[in-house]
Amino acid sequence: CLSLLSESDDGNFILQGTQVKDVVIKPEAPNTLLLDKHADYIAAYGSKKDDYEYTLSEYLRMSGIYWGLTVMDLMGQLSRMNREEIIEFIKSCQHDCGGISASTGHDPHLLYTLSAVQILSLYDSINVIDVDKVVDYVKGLQQEDGSFAGDKWGEIDTRFSFCAVATLALLGKLDVINMDKAVGFVLSCMNFDGGFGCRPGSESHAGQIYCCTGFLSITGQLHQVNADLLGWWLCERQLPSGGLNGRPEKLPDVCYSWWVLASLKIIGRIHWIDKAKLRSFILACQDEETGGFADRPGDMVDPFHTLFGVAGLSLLGDEQIKPVNPVFCMPEDVLQRIGLQPDLLN
Amino acid sequence: MHGRVKVKSTAQQEEEKRKEREKKLKAFVSARDAVLRKRSAGEHDEEALQLTQQLLSSNPDFATLWNYRREVLLQLETSREKDEVQKLYESELHFIEACLKVNPKSYGCWHHRSWVNTRLPQPDWTRELGLCDRCLSLDERNFHCWDYRRVVVKESGVSVEQELQFTDRLIGSNFSNYSSWHYRSTLLPQLHPQPIHSHRVCEEQLLKDQLLVCVCGRSELSVEKSSVLQAELQSCNQLLELEPQNKWCLLTIILLMRALDPLGHEKETLAHFQTLKEVDPMRSSYYSDLCSKFLIENTILKMEYAEVRVFSLSNKNLTTLCHLDQLLLVTHINLSSNQLLRLPPQFAMLQCLEVLEADDNAIESLEGLYHLPKLEEVSLRNNQICKLSDLESLASCTKLTRLDLRGNPVHKTANIDSELSQLLPLVTALSL
Repeated sequence: CLSLLSESDDGNFILQGTQVKDVVIKPEAPNTLLLDKHADYIAAYGSKKDDYEYTLSEYLRMSGIYWGLTVMDLMGQLSRMNREEIIEFIKSCQHDCGGISASTGHDPHLLYTLSAVQILSLYDSINVIDVDKVVDYVKGLQQEDGSFAGDKWGEIDTRFSFCAVATLALLGKLDVINMDKAVGFVLSCMNFDGGFGCRPGSESHAGQIYCCTGFLSITGQLHQVNADLLGWWLCERQLPSGGLNGRPEKLPDVCYSWWVLASLKIIGRIHWIDKAKLRSFILACQDEETGGFADRPGDMVDPFHTLFGVAGLSLLGDEQIKPVNPVFCMPEDVLQRIGLQPDLLN
Repeated sequence: MHGRVKVKSTAQQEEEKRKEREKKLKAFVSARDAVLRKRSAGEHDEEALQLTQQLLSSNPDFATLWNYRREVLLQLETSREKDEVQKLYESELHFIEACLKVNPKSYGCWHHRSWVNTRLPQPDWTRELGLCDRCLSLDERNFHCWDYRRVVVKESGVSVEQELQFTDRLIGSNFSNYSSWHYRSTLLPQLHPQPIHSHRVCEEQLLKDQLLVCVCGRSELSVEKSSVLQAELQSCNQLLELEPQNKWCLLTIILLMRALDPLGHEKETLAHFQTLKEVDPMRSSYYSDLCSKFLIENTILKMEYAEVRVFSLSNKNLTTLCHLDQLLLVTHINLSSNQLLRLPPQFAMLQCLEVLEADDNAIESLEGLYHLPKLEEVSLRNNQICKLSDLESLASCTKLTRLDLRGNPVHKTANIDSELSQLLPLVTALSL
């Protein structure tokens, strides 16, 4: 469509006449993969314990560690991280109820229980925690309608359905929950556009779609997805800049290179996006100075976007990065070692 | 973590920023440590509320603090009369609203508000609906707020009609209104319960917006539906004349034509797909696959009318195969001169298949060609079969006697003739 273009103050955003929100990639943006810089960035992250962002994100520390370790493993650099310190940390975060918290002194939650189990799987050290208690904790969070609460305070979200089955699958204990009801609940969150939201009636969102397609893959129920319809919604996330957004009329963000791309891979439609354009967008999100990836070109980097940028590139076939599993967002070789190869649609 | 622009600044500005952050950090750490100390000591008092209030206002994602706050509130409940409890939680709602002003997208805030409503002796759903209205007027895409609104609507018995009117107002005034359209898609079936197989019918006003999602059902088209769709098609064609590059228009027209008369509109449909690929090249793979699907559907329709057992779709730019479950009686298939990459596992359903022609594609995988008891002849000239192992599945097709593999990389394999006669001893006419 021909329309008026204008730039915002930082030179990034376009507001077209037809109002398509997007970014402009500057010609001088990075266009090669700076793997060594990213490894250095992650290795050093969190070493300055008095860093502002670092301290304020303590409430998600366990997930932060999972993001850092996973991206280092994908880059073949896991050995640079402090395995012993992390394992001790995880042990100190398991509560009496079996659940695991984000950090010491914080309360247990399914989100961080999954992250902890993922980390221990990377390190092949799952037995340093009480596995049976973790299983009991997860099982205890399933509700009457099959949904899962995030913790004892009862927030319901399909993210937690994913956390529950991913955790149990990694522990080889999927059989302890009511599978039919769990599946029923997730399917009740399917919308007119083929996507999924947080709860029944919630709007489709790429993050939730990743969780639900991941859930359905783990539980062997991918045939319930309308792959053509959902695949279309997902490939419509690609904007002129090549980046992906999370739902209509939103700005692109490198983390959607994961949520959307992994979902497309799971439902066998990854060829519906323009891979070359997406790759350029992801590469443009790198920071040549500091290493790491930001949500969009020119913004501040963080480990979260660094993982999903690298994982996205892996899904696109970059041979400098280890193959990543689209369901668990962990290196394929780790899952092969565990013997976990959930089905994907072709 | 999102939307933080990296701003270049002078050394002095950097130093000032650093000092500022150090100060903030110290304050945060000190408050945090005080709170966690109190909690470890089992203290559930007003001071706990004050300390958590300080921290949560600017750190609403610090979930453990909301948990502690709930513990304190529950404790305080036990020593208060009903009207005091009412006041306690109303004050809590006030606090949450202040937090929401700072961060309207915090899961913790919204969940806590829902929780408070379960503790309030007398929840005020009108006020809650008002909060949702205000919040959505600031950001119509805030899904937290929409989810909360759905709870409020359910609890307070607001009617479906009222909510439809609400979405009407929003859609009319805001371009980014996907959330409203989504909500409508859940409200309409409550007003008009739908038959099991149908999809959502286009609403006339959908066409007034450029960005729309329209999936039109094919099955059981009543006369009523048919004339509505016909009118829609007319409007779309008019719009297309004004905006010939409008992909939404093109796609909607294709879907409407399929709903009304897939065979009659085939030529036009193909032309529109071609335009779509030019206008929206990023998604050309999607359009190719969708077009393939429609061509296969049309061929199946034609077969049904003519009662033939021959399925022929050569030279149609097919990129994918589907609906194979509808070809169970087919004896001859011609897929030559297309862009297929594989014969998928579903191919194995074609138990009546006797002859397969699939020359001039890019086929690498024959996964679906196994246990086909009637298959006698296969032609796969000019494809991408590279390894002997790619042909292993054919060994299970015990009636296969004629196989043409000319123009495939596999012919370069050492001793290919003898390897193949070992793998497929029953094949008498082999062309390499």
